Amino acid sequence: MKLGLGKIRDVLAGSPEQEKENKAEAKDVVARKEEEEEEKEIDSRDEDQETINEKGQGEEGISMKKPESHIRTARRFQPNEGKTGLIFFPAFDWAISPTHPEREERLLYTRDQIFEEGLMDLPEIAEYKPRLAEFKDIARVHFCVPDIEAQATVPHQISAGCSLVLADALMKGEVKNAFSLARPPGHHAMRVAHGNRGFCNINNEAILVEYLRRKYGIRKIAIVDTDVHHGDGTQEIFYHDPDVLFISFHQDGRTIFPGTGFMNELGGPKALARTINIPLPPATPDEGIHYILDKLVFPILDDFKPELILNSAGQDNHYTDPLANMRFSVQGYAKLNEKLAPDIAVLEGGYAIETALPYVNTGIILAMAGLDYSHVREPDYTPGMFVQAKRDRQMLDEIVRVQLENWKNRDFLVEEAVSDLGDFYRRKKSIFYDTDMIQESQEESVRMCPDCLGYMTIDSQAQHGYSGAKVFCVSIPIYACEKCRKEALEVYRDHTHDIKYDYVYLQDKKADVYKSYNPKTRQERVL
Amino acid sequence: MLIGIDVGGTTTDAVLIENGKVRSTAKVPTEPRNLLESLISALDAVSEGVSPGQLERVVFSTTVITNLIAEGKTDPVALLLVPGPGMNPAGYNFPDSFILKGAVDYRGREIQVLDEKEVRETAALIKEQGFSRAAVISKFGQRNPVHEKRVKEILEEVVPGLKIELGHRNAGRLNFPRRVATTMLATAAKDRYRDFVEEIRKALSERKIEAPVYILKADGGTLPLEKSEEVPVETIFSGPAASTIGALALTPRGESSVLVDIGGTTTDLALILSGEPLMASKGAKLGRFLTHVRAFAVRSIPVGGDSAVRVIASENASAGKKKVSVGPDRKGPAFCLGGPEPTPTDALRVLGISSIGDLALAKEAIAGIAAELGKSEEESAELIVDKATEMIAAAVKGMFLEWEQEPAYRIWEVLQEKKEDLRNVVGIGGGARGLISKVAEKLDANPVIPEHAEVGNAIGAAVARPTLTLNLHIDTERKEYSVAEDGDVVKLHTTGIKNINKMRSEDAEALAAELLRKRAEHFGISEYAGEAETTRSEVFNMIRGWATVGKLFDVSMQIPAGLIPEWKREEQA
Repeated sequence: MKLGLGKIRDVLAGSPEQEKENKAEAKDVVARKEEEEEEKEIDSRDEDQETINEKGQGEEGISMKKPESHIRTARRFQPNEGKTGLIFFPAFDWAISPTHPEREERLLYTRDQIFEEGLMDLPEIAEYKPRLAEFKDIARVHFCVPDIEAQATVPHQISAGCSLVLADALMKGEVKNAFSLARPPGHHAMRVAHGNRGFCNINNEAILVEYLRRKYGIRKIAIVDTDVHHGDGTQEIFYHDPDVLFISFHQDGRTIFPGTGFMNELGGPKALARTINIPLPPATPDEGIHYILDKLVFPILDDFKPELILNSAGQDNHYTDPLANMRFSVQGYAKLNEKLAPDIAVLEGGYAIETALPYVNTGIILAMAGLDYSHVREPDYTPGMFVQAKRDRQMLDEIVRVQLENWKNRDFLVEEAVSDLGDFYRRKKSIFYDTDMIQESQEESVRMCPDCLGYMTIDSQAQHGYSGAKVFCVSIPIYACEKCRKEALEVYRDHTHDIKYDYVYLQDKKADVYKSYNPKTRQERVL
Repeated sequence: MLIGIDVGGTTTDAVLIENGKVRSTAKVPTEPRNLLESLISALDAVSEGVSPGQLERVVFSTTVITNLIAEGKTDPVALLLVPGPGMNPAGYNFPDSFILKGAVDYRGREIQVLDEKEVRETAALIKEQGFSRAAVISKFGQRNPVHEKRVKEILEEVVPGLKIELGHRNAGRLNFPRRVATTMLATAAKDRYRDFVEEIRKALSERKIEAPVYILKADGGTLPLEKSEEVPVETIFSGPAASTIGALALTPRGESSVLVDIGGTTTDLALILSGEPLMASKGAKLGRFLTHVRAFAVRSIPVGGDSAVRVIASENASAGKKKVSVGPDRKGPAFCLGGPEPTPTDALRVLGISSIGDLALAKEAIAGIAAELGKSEEESAELIVDKATEMIAAAVKGMFLEWEQEPAYRIWEVLQEKKEDLRNVVGIGGGARGLISKVAEKLDANPVIPEHAEVGNAIGAAVARPTLTLNLHIDTERKEYSVAEDGDVVKLHTTGIKNINKMRSEDAEALAAELLRKRAEHFGISEYAGEAETTRSEVFNMIRGWATVGKLFDVSMQIPAGLIPEWKREEQA
């Protein structure tokens, strides 16, 4: 099968009649968003072909830091021994606003349940203390506008820091796996952060990934996002990165925030099929989710063989969640965790604070610790109360078929996509910040370098009422070739003279240096 | 005059205090078979020549409960557990437990009814098996004890004469397994403890001592003897508590100290941070059971003056290097005191740091070690002292680290810099004092060996003041409150609070203060109610949909551990 990006979309559109009908019905609700999210490919305008050394700097970048013998394998592929690291950070003194779902009360009953169970006393569990993520940890992922302080307030820094404490514990071998049961969540936060989207300001998992790379030289990481909402922020941040496999299952984007996460969102040209979206029909029960896991998620994971598996552990697929419409149960979640065996799980959403969270979290903690979770269940749950609809099962079969095909053909897809492009890949995006009511338009451009992933630039304009910043961002991947890095540094320098931007940012992950420049005041800040 | 008596594992120490100063001290060997006798002979020794009428207060600390449990001499208890959803109760490691159906949730709502038929059958089984004591504990029973109470009724009906304790009356903090253990131990020890108290009372009345008698708790607070029968397990670990309060009494106000009590086999450590003894963040561990009993954060390490010293191969053994090890076992007294093996006490004697024991014997002991190491006697003795003090210093550092790394659940707790400058290393107790200055050196602090340090524990008992805690939980939607310490769930309208829906934190704190005052009165320590401080006051708005349907308040108050005003600390320190 020979597929270009456009053709993939055609293939995906050719799903059963039913889906087309659904699409038509849901059109008014989501039409606006879909149109906004439409990707625009722009052919490279740069006709100059660079001559590139056959060997050299690129390789240097790739082999930095990491001795071959130290490549680890995810716990999924290892014996199940050791303790489970746990940070419980309910942020009892922080809320987005007093009645917001993301408020002080969110993990209160979870606290009651897990403390009453005595989980922290179990010899299988090691409790850790949170710390603040450093600005540099955040700058490795985000372009915060105007600065990190504005987007990552103390609670955000702590929530991100929780994952980093656990990453250290895991990499030092103190624990076999870990669960960051912390708020606020992060998976809707994208690379450029103008404000809060979907209750998130900064992306905890992405910060964790970059930290693991920088500090421990981890390269191949899989993120499995089990929140009911599409993990659009995490997807966007690693869209062009073939080292990070991002798999998200979620309620179909035509029926829920953020309105994305369709199968045609497969990744950037060099990372096609390293983003796997699984849009599930509303009301999918345990049975359906486990069918998807067994038939699609696990085969891909086992084939990818990551060094680490991270789980964005949202709990809002639960049948009582007030913001979604799925039918997942505590037993379904605990079993998911046991089967997936993530190295680190990070809490995302989940707003059924009384009916689901106390039980789901108890179930997940027990499952991670390898303990019996069979007695954890919701008071009103009876086995068999939710049945998979036959029609939905056909949709799941189609998803499995299409995405397995994409995964199998990934190298071919990349080859095809890259051969069609010139020196740059460009796309325009429109991003809506539901919490802060900001509309952002972006043009993203990736250098199609034959030696490395290529540097990226983002031209972003935010609108919030009559105000909003215009910024220009340059990102150099950690394993970038020296040539790309030099070019990117020049691009940054050139833009610092351009006063139409409020800020110009440089994210040099290779050198671990992060700069922001205000062309009007001519002040540069370096991290 | 005040009397303090600490019944320790090897000796029973007593002190008589007059006008805020130590007037006399006594030390008698502890007779493990008869603690009461040891206690009484120490009392007689220290109060010789004093008329009973002059005594104002007598305080004991005792290992009675610890011993009963360690020796497995407590009475068998049938445990009836109502765990509800959560961990598989089959994983609990409690003896004689019977699992019952039924469940209450975190808000105190009944989510599964009790199966009364099952309860009756279980009761019949308990009767058949001949239990005379039972404890009933339900998960979240402290939020709603309806199941515990109903099971008790049925038990009373089916098994007449059965002595029954309920979980919510014994420990109200969150943590079901700890509540089970605490209630089980309280039930098991209750009768024996009562007998012990009765014998003390008899002995005192024979001596015509009418002064109020108190017992020391693990949190360093005193409790009137007769009231202590209600909470026998709180007297566990009162030995280390006595030493900690002793260190507090013998050092200047407000300073940070580590208390080092070097015994024969072990060294006990406790921290005083800016003048306040550090409490363990969770309850004490008793035998193999984690409990809810509030206790100081004490750590015991297997290094003591009589620890056996050996020569072992070094880790980098390739060079054929050898090094000394200290402990963890004790083979007997120090060699210089006629024991079988070289010990740190012998090393101190050789170095001239202490004058305990026979020098020639000490030299003989160290000579053996020196020969193995291929070093001089003096060098070897220094290595031994260095090793022992290094182990103690490392344990102290570990305690600080653990304190700094305690989990935090609020932003301000994460931001709070936990740093203390350790000022004093305080040696309390009789053993191996020579090690204290070396430990202090390693921790960059001042060595302090106060006057009467050898009976510091008894001084601690004598001058400790009462403590009390109160943890109030209010649920305005359910219109009720509960106090963790006594467990009953009470309707809010009985408090006289007018508009329950508009309760504020101040109202919750006022209610807590009122309840604490009543509780202090019950325990006969009203005069200290004014010392109570609020350690936590939190309010959570309960939002359903977009509307506030109620509030949850959590207020914690305590009368912290401290010293009675009669003790003239500044002069002593």
